[in-house]
Amino acid sequence: MIKNKFFIIFSFFLFQTFLTNIGAVEPDEVLKNNAQELRARNISKNIRCMVCQNQSIDESEAPLAKDLRILIRNKIKSGKDDKEIYNFLTSRYGDFILLQPAFKLNTFALWLLPVFFLLIGVYVIFRQNKLFKRKS
Amino acid sequence: MKNHLLKIPFIFFSIILLIFFYLLIIERNPTDIPSALLNKKVQQFETSSLFNSQKFNSSQEFDNNVVLVNFFASWCKPCRDEHKFIKKISEKKNLKIIGINYKDNPKKAIEWLEKLGNPYSNVAIDRNGEIAIDWGVYGIPETFIVDAKGIIKFRHVGPITKKIYKKINLLIDEVKQ
Amino acid sequence: MTSSLGNFSLWVTLFFSISQFFFSRKKNQLKFVTISANGLFIASFISFFLLMYAHVISDFSLVNVFQNSHTTKPLIYKISGVWGNHEGSMLLWILVLTLFNFFIYKLYNDKNSTFIFKTLEIQSLITTGFIVFTIFTSNPFKKMISVAENGLGFNPILQDPALAIHPPLLYIGYVGFSAAFSMSVATLSLNKNESFYWYNYMKPFVLAAWTFLSIGIALGSLWAYYELGWGGWWFWDPVENASFMPWLLGTALLHSLIIADKRRSLQAWVLLLAILTFLLSVIGTFLVRSGILTSVHTFALDPSRGIYILVFTALLGGYSLILFASKSKIYFSNNYFSFFSKEGAILINNIFMVVICSTVFLGTIYPLLIEALTDNKISVGEPYYNSTVVPIILPAILIMGVGPLLSWEKENISKVIKKILPSAIFTLMLSVLFFSIYKIYSLIAIAGVSLAFWIITNNLIIIYKKRFNYSIGMIISHLGVGLLILGVTGSSVWQIEKISKMKINDEIKINNYNIIFKKISEIKGPNYLALKGSFFVYNSKKKLITTLNPENRFYPITGNFTSEASIHTNISRDLYIVLGKGNINNGWTVRVYYNPLVIWIWIGALIIFLGGIASTVQNIKKIPK
Repeated sequence: MIKNKFFIIFSFFLFQTFLTNIGAVEPDEVLKNNAQELRARNISKNIRCMVCQNQSIDESEAPLAKDLRILIRNKIKSGKDDKEIYNFLTSRYGDFILLQPAFKLNTFALWLLPVFFLLIGVYVIFRQNKLFKRKS
Repeated sequence: MKNHLLKIPFIFFSIILLIFFYLLIIERNPTDIPSALLNKKVQQFETSSLFNSQKFNSSQEFDNNVVLVNFFASWCKPCRDEHKFIKKISEKKNLKIIGINYKDNPKKAIEWLEKLGNPYSNVAIDRNGEIAIDWGVYGIPETFIVDAKGIIKFRHVGPITKKIYKKINLLIDEVKQ
Repeated sequence: MTSSLGNFSLWVTLFFSISQFFFSRKKNQLKFVTISANGLFIASFISFFLLMYAHVISDFSLVNVFQNSHTTKPLIYKISGVWGNHEGSMLLWILVLTLFNFFIYKLYNDKNSTFIFKTLEIQSLITTGFIVFTIFTSNPFKKMISVAENGLGFNPILQDPALAIHPPLLYIGYVGFSAAFSMSVATLSLNKNESFYWYNYMKPFVLAAWTFLSIGIALGSLWAYYELGWGGWWFWDPVENASFMPWLLGTALLHSLIIADKRRSLQAWVLLLAILTFLLSVIGTFLVRSGILTSVHTFALDPSRGIYILVFTALLGGYSLILFASKSKIYFSNNYFSFFSKEGAILINNIFMVVICSTVFLGTIYPLLIEALTDNKISVGEPYYNSTVVPIILPAILIMGVGPLLSWEKENISKVIKKILPSAIFTLMLSVLFFSIYKIYSLIAIAGVSLAFWIITNNLIIIYKKRFNYSIGMIISHLGVGLLILGVTGSSVWQIEKISKMKINDEIKINNYNIIFKKISEIKGPNYLALKGSFFVYNSKKKLITTLNPENRFYPITGNFTSEASIHTNISRDLYIVLGKGNINNGWTVRVYYNPLVIWIWIGALIIFLGGIASTVQNIKKIPK
């Protein structure tokens, strides 16, 4: 995506990426079966490109992203379901690779706090309304 | 409105800033990603060896030894930089060093090793990067220390520097015991 | 020479900033405050233009120019290069700060003297903080030890007209909120005076800030849309979040100011929001500039800068929030209202905005929390925000449609139904019509499109009925939001993507269009070389509509590659084409996107901007004389 200083230093010793910002999926990767390809794209959008910043492998030009896209497609072809593919990727690369964090102990707050914020908000609105009714 | 409720913004603000402050002063590298495979069993693989067209079977190669595994390629400049440290380790320490040649041209890799010296007891070919993915590798060079039971004890991403070299030396002794 | 002049002018700025602080603390020192406020603005203006001059004439005796400029750069990008880097952008930030400081000073009269003086005092505190930061940690006038022949160049991806004016607009937004912050602190620290309308002073500043922040964010998105090359325009990147969070709170702030103004209630809430909005702007800056997050846009990775901004934020925030905790009690009123009223709708809007803002904030810092508290690392990316923010934003938009129609304090249900019946019917009709054309149904599409029509029809009916008691700026802006939602929904739900390997004369079909790859040629730009593809686009009647010319550029100076998408736009869709890797024998990878309704995002944003300007002007007139 964007070549900041950091990324340049970083990529220096990582896979020597050809730094361009062109979209990623190449025609030769695409699966013949449309439904399978769609699944592959959806998974790819949730998988982080490890050597990029905030970019999914679906959008990334990095060779590793390409390898992972092909790996995902191969696994889909061999009949693995989405969950097995996600499990494989997290077992190798950790939770860091998921752009949509899984719901587990350490992301408990991440997923529940927005709901909690909303509940506080709803409470404030109703309290205000109650006070109004009491006044009038 | 109760008085203590009015302090909530200040309390939240203070907590958040304290966390930021903590993160700023601790020594951290935002690009370091902890390995998911640390303290897990290595992924076994079968491929061909770089030197002779023989099979490379990882379970035979690792076979109850402490092993240093190094992912490298001849096209990777930082691999060249760290090579001297790997040679030093092979000279000083009595341990098996396995190289995994990542997405490389075997001819060039052999030339590269002939020129720079070969510290590896065997080199496996990872032509399309599948072994690397199985090992959770995201940037080469990467170095792993595997203990005699086949458990990954250490992982380093990026070239071995003097500091890392010292750390690896200590770790090897530790793992050997 | 430039270096010493620049440093001198920076020190003069600092001097005036400090003198304004001291003189505004004293009574009857108007003369000195006048000198300080004027001097401050002039000095920062000079230092900013000195740096600009250095960039324009490519004065490589300055580190800043050396690192960020190059003689081959076109003039406009030499100018925008001034704020395209960390140090220069701090100078711009200071310039805008002193400009707003000057505006505040201009509001001075006999009746508001204590309030304006107190505001100027806080404002000069903020300004001093940023000037000290600039001089000591990010000095743009640092001298080169040996003068180089030419500069290191400039990130070519930033060499772009939209991105050239994006930062100044954003900074007007961020810094405008500093005025609201200072006024809030001034109000809290002075004793309450029933007859003093502090919110009438705050409102034009908030409106101006919000308006410019909105257009700034929109321009950033526009840039991402055509530059980053896969048809997206919002990525939930930490840097985008850093500007989006103050925008959300700013939206809440400007709406609740209406209640404070018209109904005298929610005053304490407004004061708190004004403080938090600016604090979030500064925290956003901290997150971006300290390198604490590894975001794609990270400017600099210098821990001393991070620590400085952090300490500064702690002082500002600590002071203002403690003040709020101890002094805000008198600003609570018991003008309660039914939630079925205009105030009620605005309060609900406020709550939704704050909830969304908290969620975005949580998502942005959560990876940091996990890293600090455990030895694990996680990512929070686009899918998280889509699944948390979208469900909260939908009801907010629903209420936004009716809000302006409700009466103050209390509303009768049957009356409301009468009021919204016409727009509800129109919305239904338009939605049915729309889906009979586009024919792809999904829950989010139906929700988005009908909400967009809901907003649009409600506001058009207000205009049609000539209800003059409405603020025209508000109606225009709301209309803009409706159009924006239409564009956002259209482009995210019905995007079609085709990727294929194409050789010369190959053809690709995308939604009734045939695109033929005619030729590829090498061209030479001012500071780049490029491969330019030529694509003829035919419609279903085989008529040539346009030729698209995407480019792959190579910048030899920095060794960067960029890809320039080529886009054909009309009111119903964009055709978006990107040239990828390839060669003459195997063909090139070509990506074609059919992006429906994208233009309405930009038109919507522009209309929001115009409405904001109208409201700002209206509210400037309302400032008590």
